[in-house]
Amino acid sequence: MHKLGRGHRDKVQQFMTITGASEKIALQALKASDWHLEGAFDFFYSQPHIKSYTDTTRLEELYNRYKDPYTDMILVDGITLLCNDLQVDPQDIIMLVVSWHMKASTMCEYSKEEFFIGLQALGIDSLEKFRERIPFMRSELKDEQKFHEIYNFAFGWAKEKGQKSLALDTAIGMWQLLFAEKQWPLVDHWCQFLQARHNKAISRDTWSQLLEFARTIDPALSNYDAEGAWPYLIDEFVEYMNENGIIQNGQFSDRSQK
Amino acid sequence: MSAQKKKAFQIEAFKHRVVVDPKYAEKTWKILEHAIHEIYNHNASGLSFEELYRNAYNMVLHKFGEKLYSGLVTTMTSHLKAISSSIEAAQGGLFLDELNRKWAEHNKAMQMIRDILMYMDRTFIPNTHKTPVHELGLNLWRDVVIHSSAVQTRLQAILLENVRRERSGEVIDRGLMRSISKMLMDLGPSVYQDDFEKHFLEVSADFYRLESQDFIESCDCGEYLKKAERRLNEEIERVSHYLDAKSEVKITNVVEKEMIENHMHRLVQMENSGLVNMIVDEKYEDLGRMYCLFRRVPNGLVLVRDVMTSYIRDTGKQLVTDPERLKDPVDFVQHLLDLKDKYDKIITSAFSNDKTFQNALNSSFEYFMNLNSRSPEFISLFVDDKLRKGLRGVTEEDVELVLDKVMMLFRYLQEKDVFEKYYKQHLAKRLLSGKTVSEDAERSLIVKLKTECGYQFTSKLEGMFTDMKTSQDTMQGFSARHGADIADGPMLSVQVLTTGSWPTQPITTCNLPAEIRGMCEKFRNYYLGTHTGRRLSWQTNMGTADLKATFGKGQKHELNVSTYQMCVLMLFNNADRLSYKEIEQPTEIPASDLKRCLQSLACVKGKNVLRKEPMSKDIADTDTFLFNDKFTSKFFKVKIGTVAAQRESEPENQETRQRVEEDRKPQIEAAIVRIMKARRVLDHNNIVAEVTKQLQSRFLPNPVVIKKRIESLIEREFLERDKGDRKLYRYLA
Repeated sequence: MHKLGRGHRDKVQQFMTITGASEKIALQALKASDWHLEGAFDFFYSQPHIKSYTDTTRLEELYNRYKDPYTDMILVDGITLLCNDLQVDPQDIIMLVVSWHMKASTMCEYSKEEFFIGLQALGIDSLEKFRERIPFMRSELKDEQKFHEIYNFAFGWAKEKGQKSLALDTAIGMWQLLFAEKQWPLVDHWCQFLQARHNKAISRDTWSQLLEFARTIDPALSNYDAEGAWPYLIDEFVEYMNENGIIQNGQFSDRSQK
Repeated sequence: MSAQKKKAFQIEAFKHRVVVDPKYAEKTWKILEHAIHEIYNHNASGLSFEELYRNAYNMVLHKFGEKLYSGLVTTMTSHLKAISSSIEAAQGGLFLDELNRKWAEHNKAMQMIRDILMYMDRTFIPNTHKTPVHELGLNLWRDVVIHSSAVQTRLQAILLENVRRERSGEVIDRGLMRSISKMLMDLGPSVYQDDFEKHFLEVSADFYRLESQDFIESCDCGEYLKKAERRLNEEIERVSHYLDAKSEVKITNVVEKEMIENHMHRLVQMENSGLVNMIVDEKYEDLGRMYCLFRRVPNGLVLVRDVMTSYIRDTGKQLVTDPERLKDPVDFVQHLLDLKDKYDKIITSAFSNDKTFQNALNSSFEYFMNLNSRSPEFISLFVDDKLRKGLRGVTEEDVELVLDKVMMLFRYLQEKDVFEKYYKQHLAKRLLSGKTVSEDAERSLIVKLKTECGYQFTSKLEGMFTDMKTSQDTMQGFSARHGADIADGPMLSVQVLTTGSWPTQPITTCNLPAEIRGMCEKFRNYYLGTHTGRRLSWQTNMGTADLKATFGKGQKHELNVSTYQMCVLMLFNNADRLSYKEIEQPTEIPASDLKRCLQSLACVKGKNVLRKEPMSKDIADTDTFLFNDKFTSKFFKVKIGTVAAQRESEPENQETRQRVEEDRKPQIEAAIVRIMKARRVLDHNNIVAEVTKQLQSRFLPNPVVIKKRIESLIEREFLERDKGDRKLYRYLA
């Protein structure tokens, strides 16, 4: 460790704190990723045999703390308690990331299996470790690929069981949350538009295509192609933007105060 | 004879040397020179051909060909110079004459000279690549006479002057002109062109430019075209008489350009006499003339066609958006047919059935007919009118004619599925009220529709006919079975309609009078007895009834009414006076239908078998109705029912439109699935194009609707977007 430079030493320290790995592992991961923390994390987590050992018994304890007294699942109360313990707001997007790791099927409840899968994947078997993992999970949202997966996961997770589409209100809430992380200037207009003109549930195709839209089309809609096979709802949104003078001649002239 | 080989018999030339005296060449030449002089002086008769020939022959033989040839050239040249002068001397009109005569003489002389010098022509000249005698004669004539400055300019001027005179109506010597032309042509193709034709064309262009300018200011389009045609024919005739045939196309091009092409637009657009006026006034001759003339110039016909097309489109558009016209659908469609006839006539008689014009007409009709979304409904109403009464007493061939014309209009419709919907409705009404003029005509039209649109289009319609026939058989069976016990009651006639084939009807409530109910039950039992597993429901909004009514003074009438009206009237057997509510309750007829039916019973003059208090036009919930015992009518049979097909009201129209849109969705989806199943992977634009193509015989699908259907199919997991390219769709098996 003393052979390393200051910067590198810090990184090793950070790495060990976040992942709970040993110094040796930390060095290995960081060297493999050319001293980039992000890459080192990827490296670390993609190697199953390096995964932190999680104590199943402790997981069991944790689970029992939160599980509902009458069913073998963690329900709303349990989740609220968990959030308190973690000192995060239940509306915090971090819970979405957690659910994603758990591959949870629907919001506001975790099955035992889901709980275990998720925490194991994150190398968590105690609240301390859980809290430590939070920065890492936040960083995952900054990763383009992971954000994509989390975004698409959110649709299935947020919708009602047995429904094909996502209720509009829920969708808007999710979008507000998600696009706070990954800035999209048109998100408010989009939500306004939906409430004014659509008032129906959102299909999966529209949901996933919207991310594409936000990613590839600039806020002035100058590179929007009408023949681009966008879902019709997005076509109508563009029309709406043009009609209301928000987009004029390919210029984004947003008069509303942000 | 010995057996020796025979030697070929040879003749050998003289072995002794023939001395050629140099003076011999000179002497011989002098003889020939003299002969040429004599020939030119018309003294050829005294010459001996044989001697001259021999002399020429000898000269060439003894290698004096060069001397002979150059001598010939010199001699001829000097003679021609003299001739040229004499021509120049000729005054005014005699110039051409003189020239022509001298030319003839020269030719004759040339012939003789060539005959004499034939040996040289055949041996010396080819060997030395000199110009042969005949050609030499022509060249010398050309260079010495024709191209002498005085002759050349004068000749050109006189020729052109003659043409000008003839154009202004004078008679000229055409024979002379022909000879001169021929002379120029003989002298070589470029001589005719450079010395005459080139200038001829230039001068003609100027002439026609001026003339056309003059005409266009003073004549209307028709007159102008006549004049142009006349001039064109004149020029063609002129060429045939005294110019080179190859000049024809050149001079006609000049006339076409100056008289037609340069004034094309002005002519076509001419106020009060241009193309549009000709069409409106049906001036077939003028139109034909315009077609023939404009055909000759580049883009002439394109112009005519374009102007015609925009005229048709504009007038068509006006017609279909004119609210006055649209009040009577039958009249409207008849107007369309008349219009089509008119244009067809113009194209056949004046535009020689030109296919491009026919196409332009078709596309114009297609354009404006589809501007009015109610065209399909109106055409169906037109057909309904014809099949109901319009074709009564018309011969079979004429019926076919009318139906064929209607089919032509039908082909222009983009929304054929809308037509189908209305046609079904109207046909249903016709069949059920028994009001069709000729079953053959009905069937004939179905066949035509089938040929045009395929089996699917007409299968339901045919089902309707089948139901009618089957119902007849059913009724026969019913009467046969129950004949005795129904003889006293009301006479029932039932049509059993298969649900899928007939237009869907909203379910309505209506309580039938007791007298009828029993009969209906009997029929129901009979039918269900022979057909198990079926469900029957009475369509009270589509039936009719004939009632025998007796009024105050004993006058009897037979009233032909709808089922609803029958229910209402039967109530008055037990009461003379009933309020609206008292009618509504027992009959349970829906309010809007009830009001309409009461209106026809009480508010129409000549058919008011009921009286209403108060005597207003509209029906209110508070009205009271009385049996009108003072009712009179000229006719014994009074028709009060309202079952005939009518133009839909706006709200009804909206409703039908909506239903059509709903019907289209599954068709679009079926097309998408079909296409994707075959192609497996396809991009968005191509899907839209393919779907449009597949459905175009029925309607024009809206690309936005297609997109929505694709998304719906993605939702239902028939399709998915390609992971890499979001514009690509994949078929999910």
